[in-house]
Amino acid sequence: MQIIKDCTDAVGTAVKVLNNGGLVIYPTETLYGIGADATNPNAVKKLTQYKNRPFGKPYSVAVTDQKMAAEFVELNTAAKNLYKEFLPGPLTIISKGKHKVARGVESEEGTLGIRIPDYKLVIDIVRKFGKPITATSANASYKKRPYKISDILNNISDKQKSLIDLIVDAGDLAHNEPSTVIDTTLDDPITLRQGEIKLTDRNEVVSHSEENTKNLAKEIWQKYETHRGKRAIVLALQGEMGTGKTIFTKGLARAMGITEIVTSPTYALENEYTTGGDKLFHIDAWRLEKPDELRALGFEDLIKNKSVVSIEWAERVSDMVHEFDDEAIIIWVDIKFGKSENERLVSWGVTQ
Amino acid sequence: MKILAIDTSCDETAAAVTEGTKILSNVIWSQASAHAKFGGVMPSLAQRMHEERIDWVIQKALCKKYKDLKEIDAIAVTIGPGLSIALGVGIDRAKKLAIKYDKKLIAVNHLEGHILSPLANNPSSIRFPALGLVVSGGNTILVKINKIGSYETFAQTTDDALGEALDKGARMLGLGYPGGAILEKFARGGKTNVYKLPVPIVGQEVRKIFTYSGLKTAMNRLVESEKPLTKEKVYNLAASYQNTAFTHLIRVCSYVIRNSDNRFINLFVGGGVSANVELRKRLRKLGKETGINVLFPYSKKLTGDNAAMIGVAASFKAERGEFAEIDKIDRKPNAKIGD
Repeated sequence: MQIIKDCTDAVGTAVKVLNNGGLVIYPTETLYGIGADATNPNAVKKLTQYKNRPFGKPYSVAVTDQKMAAEFVELNTAAKNLYKEFLPGPLTIISKGKHKVARGVESEEGTLGIRIPDYKLVIDIVRKFGKPITATSANASYKKRPYKISDILNNISDKQKSLIDLIVDAGDLAHNEPSTVIDTTLDDPITLRQGEIKLTDRNEVVSHSEENTKNLAKEIWQKYETHRGKRAIVLALQGEMGTGKTIFTKGLARAMGITEIVTSPTYALENEYTTGGDKLFHIDAWRLEKPDELRALGFEDLIKNKSVVSIEWAERVSDMVHEFDDEAIIIWVDIKFGKSENERLVSWGVTQ
Repeated sequence: MKILAIDTSCDETAAAVTEGTKILSNVIWSQASAHAKFGGVMPSLAQRMHEERIDWVIQKALCKKYKDLKEIDAIAVTIGPGLSIALGVGIDRAKKLAIKYDKKLIAVNHLEGHILSPLANNPSSIRFPALGLVVSGGNTILVKINKIGSYETFAQTTDDALGEALDKGARMLGLGYPGGAILEKFARGGKTNVYKLPVPIVGQEVRKIFTYSGLKTAMNRLVESEKPLTKEKVYNLAASYQNTAFTHLIRVCSYVIRNSDNRFINLFVGGGVSANVELRKRLRKLGKETGINVLFPYSKKLTGDNAAMIGVAASFKAERGEFAEIDKIDRKPNAKIGD
C-alpha cells in the first residue's frame, strides 16, 4: 500500500495502479471513494473482497461527463435533465445499463448508477484512464463514513489493508453527506410492450368530485356483484398520478360494506381489507417492473379463490391480467383529468 | 435480556441484537441506500430477495460474539403491518431459529417499533400519557400512548402516507423514485412562497385525518403548467410542496394536542420522514408552543425500517411476559396499532 498526497503525479500513479487491476482510494466532494477498473472482473472481485459484502450488491461508477456516461447507460429524458442541471455534483443517477462493465457492477436488473464527481482530481484520473472507475465509498460495509484516511484504516482488518494498492490523501474532507441516489428507470417506457386492451362494451361518464367517483365505483360494483363467489372480480384501474384511483377503490370498498380506511397501497404493494364480511385485495402495480411480478404477489391464487381485487396502474401488468380473461370478470377502468380541477373522465368496460 | 430481532415487513431485510433499550447491533440490507439501489424496488422479488439475504443479515447482526445464540434469550419478529409474502420470510426464519435453539418468540407490530424507536439508547424517564407519531413511506399515524403496549389512534392517513406523498412529488419533478430525500435537499435551496399550494383540509383539522391526495393532484397540475422546468423552478416547487405537506401534518397534530383532555409530556416521533431536518425543526417548534418534549430516534438508521426498534419494542413485551406460541405465530399484513 502506497500513500501519496494530492499532487501532480497523483493522476499518473493512480492510472498505473488501475491499469494493473488495483484499488485506489481517492477524495471526492462527498466522501473518500474507492476505485477499481469497472470493466475488469478481477479488479471488481478484489473490491468486493475489500468491501466485505456479498456478491450482487451493485457499484456506481465515476465518469468524466455525459458523453462518457452515454457509452455505458441509456439516458432517457429524465436522466438527461438531471445531468444537465445537477452534474457534476453529489448525485448518483441510475439508468438502464448497456452491460459494458464487469459482472457485479450493474444491478441484477441491469441498471447502473453513474457519478460525475465535482472534484478535479477524480475527473483527471478517469479521463487519463479512459474507462469508468467504481465510485463506492471507501469504508468497508457497515463501517464509519470516511472523511479522512484514518476513518478508513482504523476500521478495517490487516487483510483488507493489504488489498489497497494506493491512497491519495487530501486530508480531512468537508463533512458533506454521501451522494444522493436517483433512479430514472421508472420513467422508462414499460420494457415489455403490453397488449392492447379490447373491451366489449365501453361506457364513459364525467365525474365532478371525489364523491362522484366513489358513487360511480358503487354503480359498477352493483352491476357485476352478481358474479361474486362464482368468479373473481378484478377492477383494473388506469390513470395518471392524482386522478383518483385510490378514491375509486374507496368507493368500491364502501359499496362492499368494508368499514376500514382504504389507503394507497403504493408502499406496501398490497393491502387487504376484511371488515364487513367481504374481502377486498388492493394492489398497486406502480412499483412493479414486469407483469410477472404480479404473479409473485399471489395474483393467481386470488383469481382461483374468486377474490375481489382492485389493481392500480393495471396497464403496467396488463399482459398478466389478460391471462385470466376467461376465468375472471375483468373490468378495466380508465380515469383521466378533465377540464377543471375536480373533473375526471371515467371510462370502463369488461374484456372479452 | 438479549434479543435477536428480525424485520422483513417490506423492502428492507433487517436484523439486530438488543438488550432492553440498548442496541448492540443493527443491520439493514436496504435496496434504497446509497450505491446499493436496485433498479426500481423489485417487489416482485421481495420474497426471493429477503430469502437470499436474511441469513447473511442475521449472521452480520449476531457477529462473532453471539454466533451460537447462547447469550441470546429470545427472538423477536415483525408480524405486520406489511407485505404478506415479505413478512412470511422473517417469521419463518424466526420460528426455525426459535425451535433449533429453544428460544422464546416475541411477535411485534411494526408500527409499535417505530413509535418506541426514540427510546433506543435513551433510557430517560417516560411519563404517560404520551403521543406517538409515525411518518414513513407506508404509514402516517398519530396515536395516544396510555402506557407502553396500550395505544389509541388519534389520526391517520386516509390515502397516501407522508413519505409516499413526498416520494411522488419528487417523481413529478423528474427526480426519480423514491425521491423524498432528494426533495428535502432541493427544498432547502428553494423558496416556499413562490408557488401557492392548498394546505389539505385547512380549517377542518377537527376531522383528525391526514390526507395528501388533493395536494398531490394540485402539485401535478402546477408542475405541468410550469414545464419546461429549470433548476430554480425545481427548487422552489420542491420547497412549496414539502412545506405544504408538513404544514398539514403540524396543523392536525397541533389540533389534537390543543383539544385533548390529556396533558401530554412527550411526543415520540419515528419513521423514515422523521429524519427530515425541516420536519424535526417544525415539530420541535410545535413542542415548544404546546409544552411537549419531542423525542426522535438518536440515529438516522433507526428512522427507516429496521430491526433494532423491533428489539426495543420486544423488550417491553418480554417484561410483560407476552411471548408468542411457536405454532400460532402468523403474519398480519394489515395489523393495526391497537391490536
